[in-house]
Amino acid sequence: MRLLVIEDDATLRASLVEQLGEGGFATEEAADGKEGLYFAMEYPIDLAIVDLGLPEMSGLDLIREVRAQGKSYPILILTARDRWEDKVLGLEAGADDYVVKPFHFEEVSARVNALLRRSGGWASSTMTAGPMTLDMSRQEVKMNDESVELTSFEYKIMEYLMVRAGQVISKSELTERLYDQDFERDSNVIEVFIGRLRKKLDPENTIKPIETLRGRGYRFGLERNQA
Amino acid sequence: MYSLSARLLVSVSVLLLLFFGATIVLLDFAFRDAGEQAQRDILDGHLMSLLASAEPGNTAELQMPIDLPEARFGTIDSGLYAEIRHRDGEAFWQSTSALGMTFPDVVIPEYGSPRFAEEVLTDGTPLLTLTMAVQWEFPDESLRPFVFRVAESLDSFNAQIAAFRQQMFTWFGAIALLMLVTISIIMRRLLKPLRQIEGEIGEIETGTRQSLSGEYPTELRGVARNMNLLIDTERARSDRYRTTLDNLAHSLKTPLAAVRALLREKTSVDFETRANEQIDHMDEIVRYQLRKPAAGKQGLGAGSVSVAEEITRLVAGLSKVYSEKNPTFDIQVDDKTRFRGDRGDFMEVAGNLLDNACKWCESQVAFRMNDAGTEIVVNDDGPGIPDDAVSEILQRGARLDENTPGHGIGLAIVREIAESYSGELSIQKSALGGAQIRVTIPSD
Repeated sequence: MRLLVIEDDATLRASLVEQLGEGGFATEEAADGKEGLYFAMEYPIDLAIVDLGLPEMSGLDLIREVRAQGKSYPILILTARDRWEDKVLGLEAGADDYVVKPFHFEEVSARVNALLRRSGGWASSTMTAGPMTLDMSRQEVKMNDESVELTSFEYKIMEYLMVRAGQVISKSELTERLYDQDFERDSNVIEVFIGRLRKKLDPENTIKPIETLRGRGYRFGLERNQA
Repeated sequence: MYSLSARLLVSVSVLLLLFFGATIVLLDFAFRDAGEQAQRDILDGHLMSLLASAEPGNTAELQMPIDLPEARFGTIDSGLYAEIRHRDGEAFWQSTSALGMTFPDVVIPEYGSPRFAEEVLTDGTPLLTLTMAVQWEFPDESLRPFVFRVAESLDSFNAQIAAFRQQMFTWFGAIALLMLVTISIIMRRLLKPLRQIEGEIGEIETGTRQSLSGEYPTELRGVARNMNLLIDTERARSDRYRTTLDNLAHSLKTPLAAVRALLREKTSVDFETRANEQIDHMDEIVRYQLRKPAAGKQGLGAGSVSVAEEITRLVAGLSKVYSEKNPTFDIQVDDKTRFRGDRGDFMEVAGNLLDNACKWCESQVAFRMNDAGTEIVVNDDGPGIPDDAVSEILQRGARLDENTPGHGIGLAIVREIAESYSGELSIQKSALGGAQIRVTIPSD
């Protein structure tokens, strides 16, 4: 998942980017509204975290512009203004949730995960499909209630595919969304990871959680359980 | 034009111009009419005296005496002229005054009906002429036709009219000027209290005065009273802000001191937990102090808020935030219901109550406000609030559940706002099974 963090305070931005990175997210960062809008419009983004008090262009205007340009990924507001009037304005501008400063990172992380799940159409905090369960807050995957040991990159791929269960995801989209900018991109690496994932999750090759669509990409193929 | 005096003066000037103008026109007309009538009567008299002076001579002519009764006939250029001519011929007698003058051509009227005419001499002098045709019975009993003419120059008459007009303009002009001066003086006196208010407000601004004196004419007493109310409200508001800032600053100092003390032991195992505790504490202080009531009930500044409109916005926002829980909102508010007070205050009350209800409910949130806008009731179907926790939860910043931050502080803020409107907050069991929060605000 690639997140965009638009926050003018360097310390706060660095801390967010670092902790989100530890949580398995690739991140883009911007220090002002104009730069933020550029990233928001031009980069493959899954979710944006936007501070409202930004230089160059206010967070509210930025969100309105992003929405007006037809981008529909979730937006989480960071704001020091916690009066209801301000919260409602932010939500009306097109944001999906807000976190009031000063916040604990756990709160931001929980909201981000919830928004990402919701954007994939999942309603509860753990996603269950067939015998498989993925818990975003714990970064944990279970098969038939047995925990499966995954590397962080394997987990990222699994999470991305499962949040978008039913959608076809191309290899290039996976590299784009999962690697940080400076990482060398090689689509063969994805194939290797998918192969390892299949072995770990489904050693007998009976459940087939990840389908390959030749020339198009991959798809999480298990039926979602209710809720 | 923004000056009241200037507006009044211009209006009065226009009115004076219209009224005096009409008066001048009417007077002029009447004066002229009367003057002309008098002029004709005089000319008629002269003609009669000429007729009386004429004597039939021994020839076929009429004889006129050398000295006529009207001396002006005998004075050259006196302005009064006469001539007698044969009905079908040249003039055979002219008054001495008409020496060297040529009468304009004559239109001979019927016998016995004199004819007035205004004519102009070749040198441009305007004349009023009276012409009369007569048949004179001579001693030999023959009847001979003659034409008598008298004429008077209109120069002096016109000069009279002009003098009259000038007089009229002078007098009316003087009267109008006098009236305008009087009115401006009256206006200055009338507007004096306004200038007094302006002066007193200036003194309030510089701090040499606390409120308007109140010694104003009846019409301005209301303005002065409301102005004082506004000033009091503003002062109370700025006092409240100052107190808030004061409290904020002072209450932050303790946790700041604690953080500084903590820094000495940053190697201790629970350093992070304890530092975070202090940060949370400071955050709570800031939130509580900053979300305190914006306006309060009293004061002219407070408007009124369309409840249905704001609730719709809040519910739309909360539906987004709680989209996973997706609670059912049962909103009972009449479209016309208005909250009399500050919009920010209303948003805080409704927002906190609805947010809490969404946070705690299973699936149902109900909001209801009576038509008078004096009572807000919010219900939810959550676990409710235990009786022994009610008083604790109303304490500022108290939290029942550390995992759901903001519950206690939200209600404490709502209570604080309600109290600033002389209202109150109460917590009961809801018919839905959860908590029922009721905020009542007296209507005045």
